[in-house]
Amino acid sequence: MSGRRERVRSAIRAARGGLRAVARIARWEVSRSVGVVDRRTAALGLLALLLAGAVGGAATAAGGVALDRDVYRVGVDTDSPYHEVVVETPALAARPPEVDRLGRGVEVVVADDHVYVADSRKAQAALSTFRDAVRRHNLDRLREERNESAAFPVVVTLRYAERTPDGVVAGGESGDGTGTETGTGTGTEDTSGSAGDSDGTESAPSGADGSTSGSGSGADTATGAAGVDAATGSAADGPLGVPGFGGAGGLFGGSTSGSPADISPPFPFGALVLAFLFFVPMNFVIQPYGSTILNERINRRGELLLVAPVSPAAIVAGKTLPYLATLVGVTALVALAIGGSPVSVAAVAPIAALYLAATFVGGMFARSFKELTFVTVSISVFLTSYAFVPAIFTNVTPIALISPLTLVVHDLQGTGVTAAQYAFSTGPFYVGSAVLFALGVGVYREEDMFTQRSVPLKFLDALNSRLKGRKSVAVLSALAIPFVFIAELLAVAVLFVLPVEVSIPLLLVAVAAVEEVAKSVHVYAGFRGPFADRRGWKAALVLGALSGLGFFLGEKLTAVVQLVGLPDLALGRAAFSSAGIAATPAVGLLLLLAPLALHATTTSIASLGATRDRATYLAALVPAIAVHAAYNFAVVSTLG
Amino acid sequence: MADPRLTIARRELATLRSEKTIVLALLIQLFIAAFSSFLVVGLVSLYDPGSVDGYETTVGVTGDAADDLLRVVDEQSSIAGVGYASQASAERAFRNGEVDAVLLADRRAGRVFVTATVPDDSVRTTLVVVQLRDALATFERTERGDRAAFLSSTPLDLPPRPGSGSTPYYGFSYTVLLPLLCFLPVFISGSMVVDSVTEELDRGTLELLRVAPVSTVDIVDGKVWAAAVLAPAQAGLWIALLDFNGTTVRHPLAILAVVGALALLVVTLGATVAVLSPDRRAAQFLYAVGVLVAFGGTTLLPLNPVNTVARLAVDSVGAAYPAVVAGYLALGTGAYLLLRRAVPALGVGDR
Repeated sequence: MSGRRERVRSAIRAARGGLRAVARIARWEVSRSVGVVDRRTAALGLLALLLAGAVGGAATAAGGVALDRDVYRVGVDTDSPYHEVVVETPALAARPPEVDRLGRGVEVVVADDHVYVADSRKAQAALSTFRDAVRRHNLDRLREERNESAAFPVVVTLRYAERTPDGVVAGGESGDGTGTETGTGTGTEDTSGSAGDSDGTESAPSGADGSTSGSGSGADTATGAAGVDAATGSAADGPLGVPGFGGAGGLFGGSTSGSPADISPPFPFGALVLAFLFFVPMNFVIQPYGSTILNERINRRGELLLVAPVSPAAIVAGKTLPYLATLVGVTALVALAIGGSPVSVAAVAPIAALYLAATFVGGMFARSFKELTFVTVSISVFLTSYAFVPAIFTNVTPIALISPLTLVVHDLQGTGVTAAQYAFSTGPFYVGSAVLFALGVGVYREEDMFTQRSVPLKFLDALNSRLKGRKSVAVLSALAIPFVFIAELLAVAVLFVLPVEVSIPLLLVAVAAVEEVAKSVHVYAGFRGPFADRRGWKAALVLGALSGLGFFLGEKLTAVVQLVGLPDLALGRAAFSSAGIAATPAVGLLLLLAPLALHATTTSIASLGATRDRATYLAALVPAIAVHAAYNFAVVSTLG
Repeated sequence: MADPRLTIARRELATLRSEKTIVLALLIQLFIAAFSSFLVVGLVSLYDPGSVDGYETTVGVTGDAADDLLRVVDEQSSIAGVGYASQASAERAFRNGEVDAVLLADRRAGRVFVTATVPDDSVRTTLVVVQLRDALATFERTERGDRAAFLSSTPLDLPPRPGSGSTPYYGFSYTVLLPLLCFLPVFISGSMVVDSVTEELDRGTLELLRVAPVSTVDIVDGKVWAAAVLAPAQAGLWIALLDFNGTTVRHPLAILAVVGALALLVVTLGATVAVLSPDRRAAQFLYAVGVLVAFGGTTLLPLNPVNTVARLAVDSVGAAYPAVVAGYLALGTGAYLLLRRAVPALGVGDR
């Protein structure tokens, strides 16, 4: 009795000591990072920030950035009414109306009530831009009219209503009043309540935050697309003319009432732009974090810490804590500034954790600052697009929930987030960052930190550090699931835009490839580490079967997917069909065991190749992927 | 013995090759380009009814202005109208899936009030809304025509619709995608120089280099050259790839000259920051903010880098474009020469 109490007490003492060590290292990390900033750097930084403020101010004053200034040339006489349109449109440049110079110097010519267009793709694009410009010009003019009912004789109120999911079945029993519960009465009405008011031009009710200023001119899709793209593509997005911040746009982001030109499809543009603000600090914070990890490894600086009586995990935790705290703090500030609730912070925190985890692994693997830069840039690009792109489809399809950013968009729009949705969105991020930290800590030791091994070798080392006995092969397979999940869902998001006939087969192959690599790469590592002396075919088959079993068990977790109804979508079904979610009980048992057999078989094929060298391993992956893809295809086509 | 500066530049490029970072850099750029294209294609096809062939929206029309509205709706190619006598019957048809949307049009106080009910649940919602918007805008034009007497000015006639050869991606390809692919390598090159210089200072290997018969200027030269050459090379690769894909880029040499000049400028900026602030964390931060400011600031100017590249690529430049390119070249070379003069005075490595 007392012995057990003693043990508990000593465990608490040890935990406390560990926490103290973590706190000490965290304090040390903070003080050292602050010490880096000498007077010259601080002055330069201040200068840069001042300049940034000045540029931002100038950009706002100048009315935004036009990247496409004067790209198209329109020949128009100075006394033509169209001249004003061309002059006020940045993308168009006014030229003299010389029809004979069409195609050489001008794309479109407006002369004597005719519009002449050159024969080229550029001229067609110019005509399209010109047409939009004239339309916008007309609208602006009409807004100044005093007789409002003559200028805007049509007032539209857009209403979203749910229908019975299966229209065909409902059609069979039409006539009686059974469908009332899905009637328009349940339609999600615009909460802002401006519906049907007499004023057709003003469509931006004041939202929760006063800073937004819905321009009311309707989201021009062309600018919208370019704006979003610039925002995702590079961090260098100036104030691109944001059409109507969604904070004021009501429930669906798009405007729902006004003149026909004012209504816009449900696209959470404003919420997305605001959500992007959460990513800016992350990209800045992971740079110094990666530096501090790599710094430990330069000139054996980390050796002192390594020989101190603290575990590598405590060192890593201590070094990571200040950065994680900074990110969460900044996220909370951003949320406060743009009107997000704690849900936003809770949704962004796992993204921040994964950023840091990936950067930590990058810092452990990179051989030089240069390599680290490329690694961090890849992490930024990959994670940003992974989080950002699905969120664009927030109001379109439940698949958008693969990104925690979708939760933020929901939060900013005022639509609620359920616990299941939160778990589904952030689960892979939490597990993924835990696994990455575990892998990184595994190589936080002298022989890996201070040597110049190539990244793939270090990766194999990291896997090997987690391989202890045959059972761990299965465990690693199961732990690979979140990454498989992320990779597959990214594939879904990428292939989403293709037609279904093309995207489904491509997706099946991609899914098979991702899963096969995830199941066998640690087996390959094992044959270069703990199992190096057991490279027989028997060991290969055993390890392959174990890995397949682990993966099979882990894959059952994807049944969580059903919680949010993701398999309702054709693409979602294709991605997760091999998880054995049965359509009917009869095939259920077969489907339960079939994937197990599949995973064991294909991984055994790959691990047989892994016993030799890299070339045979890669060669063996091909039949493994082929078998897996064929199986997936069979399942989808029989159930589909 | 070869020029020591060339040797240093070669060594820089050799480490890039051995670390395979150049492959990673190309992959990142390809990923960004592919993803942004996917995004734009996806968004455009979501919002462009013309991109989905053979899909016709059926819309139920009711209310006392239904006849006028139906006449307009029937003129639209991608949308078909069905008249309903009462709102209840139209909504029943909507629930049963016979129509994709319901328009309830009522005349009140000299205006037409239209309540559009659209399905809430699907990808098609956006498409239906866009189609309804087009139809209602046409309706608005005809209604406005009836009230023209009350307007102080008549709206301008719209130019004709673009023909079949038009693509909604033209502007995106030249004003976003091409500049993105041209300038990403430039930014990466600058970041690379920051890393290269700070790492030499950090590891103390710059001291070793200084023992060799090369000056600090030579070392900085070698690093700047290696990084500055890399950017136009990558941009050239992307231009060739775009060309191969059917996006013809005009004036490729002029574009490469602009990219090269900017690469020299940005790399010089990176080297200067690294020399002034030798800790990588601070240096990278300063460099990132500096480049963002410089780049964001220039987009306000006419003939900014993005705009110049876009206009060169679509041949929307006048005869004066060699002067613009020369201006960029002068800017880049000037900054580089300034750095060369400043390096001995800064006392690199004497810490």
